[in-house]
Amino acid sequence: MTDILRIKDLKVEFVLPHMRVKAVENVSFRIGAQETVALVGESGSGKSTISQAIMGLLPKVAQVTKGSIIFADPKKPGTRVDIAMLDRSGSDMRAIRGGRISMIFQEPMSSLSPLHTIGDQICEAVKLHRKVGSAEARELAVEMLTLVGFPQPKRSLKTYPFELSGGLRQRAMIAMALVCRPALLIADEPTTALDVTIQAQILRLIKEVQAELQMSVLLITHDLGVVANMADRMVVIYDGRVVEAGKTDDVFINPGHTYTRSLLAAVPHFDMGPDERLRPLREIKPKTGSLLASAGDGNAQQNTSDVPATLALHPTMASEPVLAVRHLSKSFTTRKGNWIKSEERLIPAVSDVSLTVNRGECVGLVGESGCGKTTLSKLIMRAMSPDEGSILFRGESGQMTELTGLDEDQLNPYRKRIQFVFQDPFGSLNPRMTVQDIITEPMLIHGVGDSNYRQKMVLELMDLVGLDPRFLNRYPHSFSGGQRQRIGIARALSLKPDLLIFDEPTSALDVSVQAQILNLLKDLQRDLNLTYLFISHNLAVVDYVADRIAVMCAGRIVESAPREVLFKNPMHPYTQALLHAVPFADLDHLLDFDKIMDGKASDPSRWPAPFTINQTSEPKMMQVAEDHFVRAERADFTEIAI
Amino acid sequence: MLTYLARRLFVMIPTLFMISVLVFVIIQLPPGDFLTTYLNELQAQGEAVDPAKIEFLKRQYGLDQPIYIQYAEWAWGLLQGDLGFSFEYNLPVSDVVGDRLWLSLVLNFSTVIFIYIVSFPIGIYSATRQYSWGDYGFTLLGFLGLAMPNFLFALILLYYANVVFGTSIGGLMDPEYINQGWSFAKMMSVVEHLWAPVVVIGTSGTAAMIRRLRANLLDELGKQYVVTAHAKGLSPTKVLFKYPLRMALNPFIADIGNILPQVVSGSVLVSVVMSLPTTGPMLLTALQSQDMYLAGSFLMFLALLTVVGMFVSDVLLAWLDPRIRLQGGVGN
Repeated sequence: MTDILRIKDLKVEFVLPHMRVKAVENVSFRIGAQETVALVGESGSGKSTISQAIMGLLPKVAQVTKGSIIFADPKKPGTRVDIAMLDRSGSDMRAIRGGRISMIFQEPMSSLSPLHTIGDQICEAVKLHRKVGSAEARELAVEMLTLVGFPQPKRSLKTYPFELSGGLRQRAMIAMALVCRPALLIADEPTTALDVTIQAQILRLIKEVQAELQMSVLLITHDLGVVANMADRMVVIYDGRVVEAGKTDDVFINPGHTYTRSLLAAVPHFDMGPDERLRPLREIKPKTGSLLASAGDGNAQQNTSDVPATLALHPTMASEPVLAVRHLSKSFTTRKGNWIKSEERLIPAVSDVSLTVNRGECVGLVGESGCGKTTLSKLIMRAMSPDEGSILFRGESGQMTELTGLDEDQLNPYRKRIQFVFQDPFGSLNPRMTVQDIITEPMLIHGVGDSNYRQKMVLELMDLVGLDPRFLNRYPHSFSGGQRQRIGIARALSLKPDLLIFDEPTSALDVSVQAQILNLLKDLQRDLNLTYLFISHNLAVVDYVADRIAVMCAGRIVESAPREVLFKNPMHPYTQALLHAVPFADLDHLLDFDKIMDGKASDPSRWPAPFTINQTSEPKMMQVAEDHFVRAERADFTEIAI
Repeated sequence: MLTYLARRLFVMIPTLFMISVLVFVIIQLPPGDFLTTYLNELQAQGEAVDPAKIEFLKRQYGLDQPIYIQYAEWAWGLLQGDLGFSFEYNLPVSDVVGDRLWLSLVLNFSTVIFIYIVSFPIGIYSATRQYSWGDYGFTLLGFLGLAMPNFLFALILLYYANVVFGTSIGGLMDPEYINQGWSFAKMMSVVEHLWAPVVVIGTSGTAAMIRRLRANLLDELGKQYVVTAHAKGLSPTKVLFKYPLRMALNPFIADIGNILPQVVSGSVLVSVVMSLPTTGPMLLTALQSQDMYLAGSFLMFLALLTVVGMFVSDVLLAWLDPRIRLQGGVGN
């Protein structure tokens, strides 16, 4: 078997006015015919630079200073082209680019021009590389859209990218890349921005079209789960160098390099024992100081004395609810229209959600994008007002208080009891404030303590999240994503909240940093007896941190159970679909592509009989076992609140 | 979308109404009216004024009426196309204005077109060759254009035209055509004279537009869809014109409504310096002498230009950008 692509001793440098920065050095690997090779590495490792070098798409300041990229086109046997030597915008390179080597990107929304129709953008690619007329180009485009699974390929030609869902956009992107039947497809994080069920569909699609078109695939990813399921061979990149390369099976079973081993150890997976920990590259040891620890104990004692006798009789304090959400609903109005008319529609974002979070517990909320989990968190924070339902929260008095009817002034004491950690570590810290100011601000707003107390608290918080107190005068831009996220956690803890809400706290981070943050969160919870509501789309992450998990879909909670139960015995078809769709970084648990539902999984009206939700049937939550609830219709069960 | 257009058209009515009220109030704000200014002027020249005559004039011009009645009469007249009566010239406003309105329109539209034609290629050049010598050169020229007052540029141009070439570039036509009827020769004369004021008035607008196009285009050039287009194998020029440039157009179209009043107000001083027969200088004197119907007509004309410009730019935006057209984003 001949190799399609051979990269030898590749070195790429960024030539800046004052210095040269090595992005990639001494990289060699090859891609065989019809083979899938995965390029694995964390952000900044240089894996994207390699793909850009292959495509001739390096930025202007980047230069290939050494090595070769030999491309042997199977359509022209015997010819070899060194891409590294070609003029990047010359006609030879342009004939290869898009024609023989194509690329799909991470962000399906921003990768397609919003001003041109799908058909326009696909036909353009055809006409560039083949001598065909407009009608023929359209036919080829329709054929390719059919191949990638567009429901109505003819009509889709006239749609704009923003009219399509994320999964369909990525399919359109794939169709555009494949319409010229390339010999090599480079997929740069093709599924990172997609939901797990959609990810599984796209991965299956890539496998199918690869077989159909007999092409090779270079898969660039940080997700070892994707690698395990897709790649024949893998190349691990660290700091611009290849640290390990080999057959995927070999590398997974017997990783040679320390970095590969630590990467594999940092990925959360479902078979972890209750006390098994992830091993990040660098562990943080939280040090609890006097203020936080004693305050935590004080709170607990205070609560014991304040709780009514009935609750105090409860065997463990842990089962005392801090937050109880009952039948919460919220709808938004959207306007949709064209030149002729526009109509307003009421879209339910959250409907009939009930959820309880007990003290000292971590409740995980899992769902795909658009399922309403962020809206729910905003409702709990009262950043929005619900249309219906109640939010009971245990305030300082120890009594459950109804938050829904309260105005801003009345809410103020509760605001400080519930704190939030955001998804985007870059957007959530004010770039013009020092770390000191950022962590102190909540205390200032709520008038907590005097300046001595605040200073002491800030130092203690920095210790707690494993940051050097000397960093206090720095600004956020000098920190990495993981460090910023820790600053965000310190800020949230500064008011000693009763409830911490995390909205996708690790989805913007690399796996090793993610492991670090997740371990930190677990340790903090153990040491300070914190209560978490942990929102994520990543089942494995939620499985790692949460005690109880609620699965959300289309604005409703469809199943909730303790984590061991949920993963061993999922009842709801949506939960099952989710679990089937998660790619494990484990060769023994490969994805079963036959079980992946095509977009049906998240449509409540297409769930099988007892679970169906449509105009005629609106099932409630019912109990199937202790602490295990499923949204299903069953005559012999009555509704039980969770 | 049609309802959206209809609504936008409808909203123009109360907008113009509010503007007319504001215009009227602002003109009336300084103490006194045209007659008191006129009186003071006469007295300053040592002439005696007969109070009875003043009373008579006041009644004749309707200046003894309460302000809202004056407004109502003016507004009603405007609706019927009657611009009112100029005190200073003793003529109906429309006769006073005469060709000036059209000449102003011609001058200002030429300037806007000049701005677009010159700034586009330069802006594209600057953005695609960022930090090259050409970019730095145009940036320097642009800042000069922005920094230099228009009237100063006009004076310099007038001076050198006279000293070096021995010609006068003032005015909008050769002297023999002034107050003549329109003829082909007169039109050609206008065209010959137009370039100087257009360049003078257009420089700062052009400079600003180059900076904006450069910044917009640089933003768009870094976007992912541009990489996708390159990845297809499109040639760099085609990529540039089909994708990022098209996206970078939005702010310019949105600007049509803004650029007109800017150009018009920027041209007032230049018109004075270059003695152009446009509305600018006349508006200035009208405001000074509180010739309120004349000033009001000019200001309303400006407001109408702006409001219509805004409407046109909204329609163009909806037509160019499917996101606005199909998502109804502008309606929200």
